[in-house]
Amino acid sequence: MSAENKQVISREGSTDIHAQTAGSKAVKYILITLSVVFLFVMLVMPLITVIYEAFRKGLVPYLEAVSDPDTISALLLTLEATVIAVVINTVFGLFAAWAISKFRFHGKKLLVTLIDLPVTVSPIIAGLIFVLTFGRQSAIYPFLESIDFMVVYAVPGIILATVFVTFPFISREILPVLEAQGTDEEEAAALMGTKGFTIFRRITLPHIKWALLYGIVLCAARAMGEFGAVSVLSGHLRGKTVTLPLQVEILFGDNKFMPAFAVSSILVVLAIVILIVRSIVEYIGKRRGEK
Amino acid sequence: MYIELKNINKSYGDFKASDNVNLEIEKGRLVALLGPSGSGKTTILRMIAGLERPDSGEIIIDGKVVNDIPASERGIGFVFQSYALFRYMTVFDNIAFGLKVRKMNKAAIKERVTELIKLIGLEGFENRYPSQLSGGQRQRVAFARALAPNPQVLLLDEPFAAIDAKVRQELRKWLKDMIHKLGVTGIFVTHDQDEAIEVSDEIIVTNKGRVEQSGTPIDIYRNPTTAFTSAFFGVTSELKDYKAFKSFDEVDEYDRAIVRPEFVKITKKSEVQKYKSSAVEGRVETVEFRGNSIEITVSCNGSIFSARRSLDEPAVEVGETVDVFIYRIFITHGDSVKLLKNNAVREETVVI
Ligand SMILES: Nc1ncnc2c1ncn2[C@@H]1O[C@H](COP(=O)(O)OP(=O)(O)OP(=O)(O)O)[C@@H](O)[C@H]1O
Ligand SMILES: [Mg+2]
Repeated sequence: MSAENKQVISREGSTDIHAQTAGSKAVKYILITLSVVFLFVMLVMPLITVIYEAFRKGLVPYLEAVSDPDTISALLLTLEATVIAVVINTVFGLFAAWAISKFRFHGKKLLVTLIDLPVTVSPIIAGLIFVLTFGRQSAIYPFLESIDFMVVYAVPGIILATVFVTFPFISREILPVLEAQGTDEEEAAALMGTKGFTIFRRITLPHIKWALLYGIVLCAARAMGEFGAVSVLSGHLRGKTVTLPLQVEILFGDNKFMPAFAVSSILVVLAIVILIVRSIVEYIGKRRGEK
Repeated sequence: MYIELKNINKSYGDFKASDNVNLEIEKGRLVALLGPSGSGKTTILRMIAGLERPDSGEIIIDGKVVNDIPASERGIGFVFQSYALFRYMTVFDNIAFGLKVRKMNKAAIKERVTELIKLIGLEGFENRYPSQLSGGQRQRVAFARALAPNPQVLLLDEPFAAIDAKVRQELRKWLKDMIHKLGVTGIFVTHDQDEAIEVSDEIIVTNKGRVEQSGTPIDIYRNPTTAFTSAFFGVTSELKDYKAFKSFDEVDEYDRAIVRPEFVKITKKSEVQKYKSSAVEGRVETVEFRGNSIEITVSCNGSIFSARRSLDEPAVEVGETVDVFIYRIFITHGDSVKLLKNNAVREETVVI
């Protein structure tokens, strides 16, 4: 069984714990009940509430709220930021994971730690860091102004924040797979006359394909939902720098509950789409691994 | 010489993995790199293949210095210890890989791969993935994959390490025949001396990053030239005080006195001992059946060492007092070794 396949399985939780290690039947049912109750309270109930509230006044008001120009522009901005974040982090993730697992160099540990930084730093702090780096008080602001490139309270800031918070997701998925694999197969290919990129395409990519896809799915999910860092950098310019989560916040703040829930339902649908894609990726990945 | 290493040095950090290595290998020979774990065997192999760069010294293959030629252009076949088969490719695609890289046409590739699959006796397994093969089958696929592009040099890193004894035996013979049949120059790494003796035309003994000795198996076995080789080859035991054994020349300074089982003759009290006057009494400590002989350890003059008796001879028992006669002893001093022969023996009749 391949390393990435093991990973996929363990992520799902162990499906068949050995009877002797699992304890009595009572424990089993208590645990299952607790999990189900927990899931219901934390996940299913809120979801139902969102959908219920969104449609409470009927389909027409719902469609009106969803097709509001501000909402549409927020959806487009969210998708734009997500796509760009996924592309950038895929490229970066591949490079970083490759470098870390295949080469020996100084500062490797530091690089690994730095990659994890975005998940450990609070998104608000991350947003503030970018405001300080690119905002009015920064040293490079005059230069940015001269080329008419605004970061803070502009779309580039939103994208920057999104890329930052989703930074580790893809490299973190690929890294363990690459490390488990070692460099033998690449060396074998090199000895047979294969050169750099071909080795990557023919030997390395098949190994990390499923981990990479999984990382992309996670990255996309996280990018769509990002609120904290984006909120700091956005400036909440309606129709310009507002993403879906921010739009929800704005509507909520204006006491427009029904529209707020309607917009939330878009995010819910996107989340469900991602969940389905994730399951398909996992399913196919597992089947491939078992072959 | 077909392959030559001249004054090769290689360090990892401040650890010397290769310490002024010099070796020469003739075309068409199968050579064993033999040495204890960590002695730098893999390092030598990887430098010849171009997977590692020596810090200094020259690697010469077929008269050309190849130091600056990348691995992908050296045209060397390499069988990894872990086989490193491409796990997402079938047996067929694994073997075809090196041919596809060379842009050979499809029909020619199919023909060559089919020929190799036949050679390794895996017809019908073309479409299996490496994970669906046994260790021995994987080993053979790795071998075929390395041979597919017709390399002039084949390097094998502990090719039999992961295979059970019986299959290993078959594969060793198979490898030897195959290499000689194809006329390839081969170097294989092993830390099993039986394997080295059985398979190779020549053995290069490594120790602590250095080449200790090289030569034919029988030559190295008979005439070890360094202290390390004398103690490394064969089943060796050390004598605490060799001067307590009779009729040997005195050596003033020495570190160790080493005997091998075939240097020792054990006779029961009821048997005739030709050199009775030079024999000493010993006590049998253990008796073990070794398939084709009986291995006996005796304690004698404060030392414990092994000897053999044939199955035809009368059995000895644990605790029995026997006569022990020693034909030869290796005496080491520093890095050098000296062979002492028992003066009681006029004619050289020690059979190895
Ligand atoms: N990449 C590396 N980095 C640091 N040290 C290394 C590296 N590769 C090898 N060494 C060291 O160099 C020495 C020789 O290693 P090498 O792999 O050549 O040994 P070997 O003779 O093949 O041993 P074995 O029989 O265990 O495979 C070892 O002490 C090892 O720790
Ligand atoms: Mg090794």
